[in-house]
Amino acid sequence: MGKIRVLIAKPGLDGHETGARLIARALRDAGMEVIYLGARQTPKMIVDSALQEGVDLIGLSILSGIHKEAASSVMRMLEENDATHISLVVGGIIPKADVPELKRMGVKGVFGPGTNTHQVVAFINELTGLSPK
Amino acid sequence: MGKKKKSASGPFKKGFLERFQSNLKNWEEDTLKKRVIDGELRPEFWTKHGQKEKIKPEFKSGSGEYTIKEIYTPLDMNDTDPIKQIGLPGSYPYTRGRDPLGYQALKIPLKFYSGYGSSETAKQRYKTLYDAGSRFILVAADLPTQIGYDSDSPTAAGEVGKVGIAFDTLADMERLFDWMPLDKVQTGTVGNCIGPWALSMFYLLGEKRGVDPSVMRVQLQNDPFKEYTGRGTYIFSPKIAMDLASDVVVHICKYLPNHWEPQYHCTTTLRWGGCSATQEVGFGIANLIAYIEAAQEKGVKPEVFAPRLNLHMTADMDLFEEVAKFRAARRLWAKIARERFGTDDPRITSLRITVYTGANRLIAQQPLTNIVRVTIQVLASMLGGAESITVPAYDEALALPTAESTRLAGLTPHILNDECMAGNTSDPLGGSYYVEWLTNKVEEDGRKWYDAVEAKGGALAAVESGYYLQQMADGMYEYQKEIERGERTIVGLNKFLVETDESIELFKFDYEAEKNQIERLRKIKIERDHATVEKCLSRLKQVAENKAAGKQDNIVMPMMEAVRAYATVGEIFGVLREIFGEYRLPLIV
Repeated sequence: MGKIRVLIAKPGLDGHETGARLIARALRDAGMEVIYLGARQTPKMIVDSALQEGVDLIGLSILSGIHKEAASSVMRMLEENDATHISLVVGGIIPKADVPELKRMGVKGVFGPGTNTHQVVAFINELTGLSPK
Repeated sequence: MGKKKKSASGPFKKGFLERFQSNLKNWEEDTLKKRVIDGELRPEFWTKHGQKEKIKPEFKSGSGEYTIKEIYTPLDMNDTDPIKQIGLPGSYPYTRGRDPLGYQALKIPLKFYSGYGSSETAKQRYKTLYDAGSRFILVAADLPTQIGYDSDSPTAAGEVGKVGIAFDTLADMERLFDWMPLDKVQTGTVGNCIGPWALSMFYLLGEKRGVDPSVMRVQLQNDPFKEYTGRGTYIFSPKIAMDLASDVVVHICKYLPNHWEPQYHCTTTLRWGGCSATQEVGFGIANLIAYIEAAQEKGVKPEVFAPRLNLHMTADMDLFEEVAKFRAARRLWAKIARERFGTDDPRITSLRITVYTGANRLIAQQPLTNIVRVTIQVLASMLGGAESITVPAYDEALALPTAESTRLAGLTPHILNDECMAGNTSDPLGGSYYVEWLTNKVEEDGRKWYDAVEAKGGALAAVESGYYLQQMADGMYEYQKEIERGERTIVGLNKFLVETDESIELFKFDYEAEKNQIERLRKIKIERDHATVEKCLSRLKQVAENKAAGKQDNIVMPMMEAVRAYATVGEIFGVLREIFGEYRLPLIV
């Protein structure tokens, strides 16, 4: 069985990449294959890369308040491309009140500031049903 | 650490240190090693913890760089000359402060950084802050504005008015500030890669309102390095961004010499992104030097520019390390500036430090604990001699702050100054064995980082090569691992956990704002004089072409003409994008 393939990106114009970089490195160190796209990605760029790279999961890092718009666009494009097997998780500054709505859209996990990276790794392992290596 | 060599310049008389040394040795033998005797007096202590045990094997400084001893003594100040190294406030090397009177002569302003949602909401909030006594309004622009996109651009969709106010044209500026007495309030903005445009917006606001722009007090951050080292709101390559930023410096030093601050360097993104205290000092100084030299190349003398410049630092959680950091930064700057510019001119060698306290240390899990955190950060800034302090709201880690939390943040320095008397005397921790030792260490290691940047060809090269980003990524990863291994305690995050309190009120977006803003933009585009806009944009393009061809040509005046003609931010930066292209940050994990 192959490694878990994960794509990490920041949709929108915000460029605070610290959290995204940190998660990318932690997942890589946990044995996953990480494709890091960086900031200023449009939902289309993200979904296109995800399809091209054949990832199991997309992780979006968002601090600027655009999480609802970004998640719904990515989910819609995944559906349009028959790619709902790719899971979507979101991390960053996400008010708790918005979490149920994100979950309804199909976002599998939401991780706020201060999340332990082991938790994220464990969550992804369980979600994809794959062991990291 | 703890050099045992004798020094003629140390503060103590001959023979004293030898006597102290034996005193310390006795203390170690009789008191420290026999703490168990204490235990008999306090049995509850030693039955729980056993004898002579420390709570943890090692005590580290906040940024993890130093192992801290049980006690600091005169022996740790042996080679610290109280005259040459520590000195007095207001004189070289400014360890104890730039101003001889420190907070005794500093009227602390009520400062707020805000501007969220629609311009109507923001305007209302500014008015509230003004009525509450604030005379300093730092305008936050939204991300499309900061990157040079109009509100109706597809790239801007969903981001208009999100982290700041949307400014498409000068009309947005006029509407936002139509109520404000421009001569009474200091204004400014943080947009760093749009410096010439920001200058034009504030200048023309004055002109339109019939206020002489030269009497306005405007602070422009205009700090491109910050965007390539964590903040991410860049447009062009670092080199082009530097060129545009220094055009602003040239223009302001020449035409607006009174109250305008053309540029300052902000180290918060470096530190928040993972740099240590000593890296913050070393990198920050290297970056400031680069700014001064960039302006110098365009004919602005350091003694003209440097006095308006400041280093805008963060205040992290280790109270004493941060105090030492501020003191060390001033001293190291004084020495480096003297070497570099070959002068003792205090306008150049004295560094003004301002602070935006550590929003990066705010946690989302028990947000009220953040009030305690920022209070200590403010205290560190005051004890370290910061000359201006801006405080983040305690709910920033959850969402954009509310009016209430923003106001509380602004009041914090006033409580510390007026009620806790933290500013009663200059540099109150000066002479503390521990703080002086730490100050020496931070200066010494800050110098090493400064040298490392210079060895790479200076700050611009360090930005271009991704050196800073790599240092940050490494530091941040290590910090996170320390938390996860339990080596670093964050109350509320990995100690004393409870279910998150959800009762605090969060800021709510106005989702109509984007639609309204686009409508306003459409109207302006119809009403303005198209021929003038075209003419101004092609002039701007000409300047950009000249720059691209390696000629010196200041962009500020043509930029101002374009803004005056109500050219949009997207049109202006669109023209420049055609010539300069767009930059992509190196992907560093």
